Amino acid sequence: MADRVILTIGTKKGVFVADAAKPRRSFALRGPFGPGVPVYSTLIDTRGAPRLYASSCNPFFGMKVLRSTDMGKSFKETKSAPAFPKEDGRALANIWGLEAGAGKKDLWCGVEPASLFRSHDGGDSWDLVPGISNHDHARKWQPGNGGLCLHTIIRDGNRVHVGISTGGHYLSEDGGETFRASNQGVGAGFAPDPYPEFGQCVHKIARHEDAPSRLYMQNHGGWADWTGPGGPRPDIGVLRSDDYGRSWRSIAKGLPSDFGFPIVVHPHDADTVYVMPLEPATRSCPDGAPAVWRSENGGESWSRLARGLPKKQSYFTVLRDAMDIDRLKAPAVYFGTTTGQLWIGREGGEHWDCLFDSLPPIHNVKVAVV
Amino acid sequence: MGQTPTITIHVPGPLRTYCAGAAQLSISAHTVRAALEDLERSQSALYRNVCDETGTMRRHLNVFVNSDNVRDLNGLDTALRPGDVVTILPAVSGG
Repeated sequence: MADRVILTIGTKKGVFVADAAKPRRSFALRGPFGPGVPVYSTLIDTRGAPRLYASSCNPFFGMKVLRSTDMGKSFKETKSAPAFPKEDGRALANIWGLEAGAGKKDLWCGVEPASLFRSHDGGDSWDLVPGISNHDHARKWQPGNGGLCLHTIIRDGNRVHVGISTGGHYLSEDGGETFRASNQGVGAGFAPDPYPEFGQCVHKIARHEDAPSRLYMQNHGGWADWTGPGGPRPDIGVLRSDDYGRSWRSIAKGLPSDFGFPIVVHPHDADTVYVMPLEPATRSCPDGAPAVWRSENGGESWSRLARGLPKKQSYFTVLRDAMDIDRLKAPAVYFGTTTGQLWIGREGGEHWDCLFDSLPPIHNVKVAVV
Repeated sequence: MGQTPTITIHVPGPLRTYCAGAAQLSISAHTVRAALEDLERSQSALYRNVCDETGTMRRHLNVFVNSDNVRDLNGLDTALRPGDVVTILPAVSGG
């Protein structure tokens, strides 16, 4: 019976693990593991005995994948990390996404430069997924501020969605053998063509497990005032699809900014979605007053959730993978900041408490009930 | 080319776990590049920490032959002599 809430917190200085009994009154913190090394991706794999994974992106010695089989009391390197074939000419620069696959030990891994790898043995060996990694578009994708990264992997049977910054959204409907750009309605702000076939700076994609046709996207917004070729592009930042990601439409109206990084779906309601609007120039919340925004009707309208958060003078950023929501009956939302605070929004974000206030800059937060 | 010189590679602390804890490795190689190629064959886990999958040495590492950075010598083609000590070190980080 699941009775612990466990958080993995990827930071600039290693991965931390926090856990609490179900009421989530207080969390015990362990770590850092892989100390001193940035962690951009974590995974809590709850299939069978829980396993925790973390990417360990060492600027000196290269990329590693860390694995814990004791609920985050210790981590060890897997036998190997993803690596391009020598003749490919690309070299792994970062690991941005880890997701569970279909088989019990299957894992998927998104990396920089934007490519996808699969493991069938829990991360001990990895194979390049050529359908997206060697896609005809791959050499035309451009790096965004975070590098050219494949950061989002969403699986739904034979459908595989990936998000690439900057490459856009790609969809496979044959289990990852082939992919096609699927960006109808997804705007781009840094090219003359406001709606290119591919090349969008997708920041994050999310969906509800039981409603696979519905997806939400936080795209790179902030282009309402653009006056160059192609004209202004208001509201391209927050999008929704109701046809498995084949087409997208804006749901950004009512938000204070359509720029942001994370997007998270409520575990029990596919119409409830959370974003954190940021000013595009500073990557911080408007007026220095942090707030998560929630829609309970699929993005038709939005409400501001800020009770307990600082009311002014807060200029942190919340990065693409630094927000998550647990699956308890009244789920809590969690986000980590680039200034090292980890916040919990109880009752679906109605009121916020700071769980930890002096961690290293936070890249990634994942939660599971185990 | 004469007899292949035997040199010593000094392994920094964080990398010793990838070569069974050895602080030093003895290798026969005419150049730094040949020494790295030997490492690729004989100590593949260690090698992967020093060079990426294209064979390029990682950007934030420095290699010294005795007290000289190979950047100031002949790069990876720097010739080695018997008894040389090759040291692999992370580049300085911090203030």
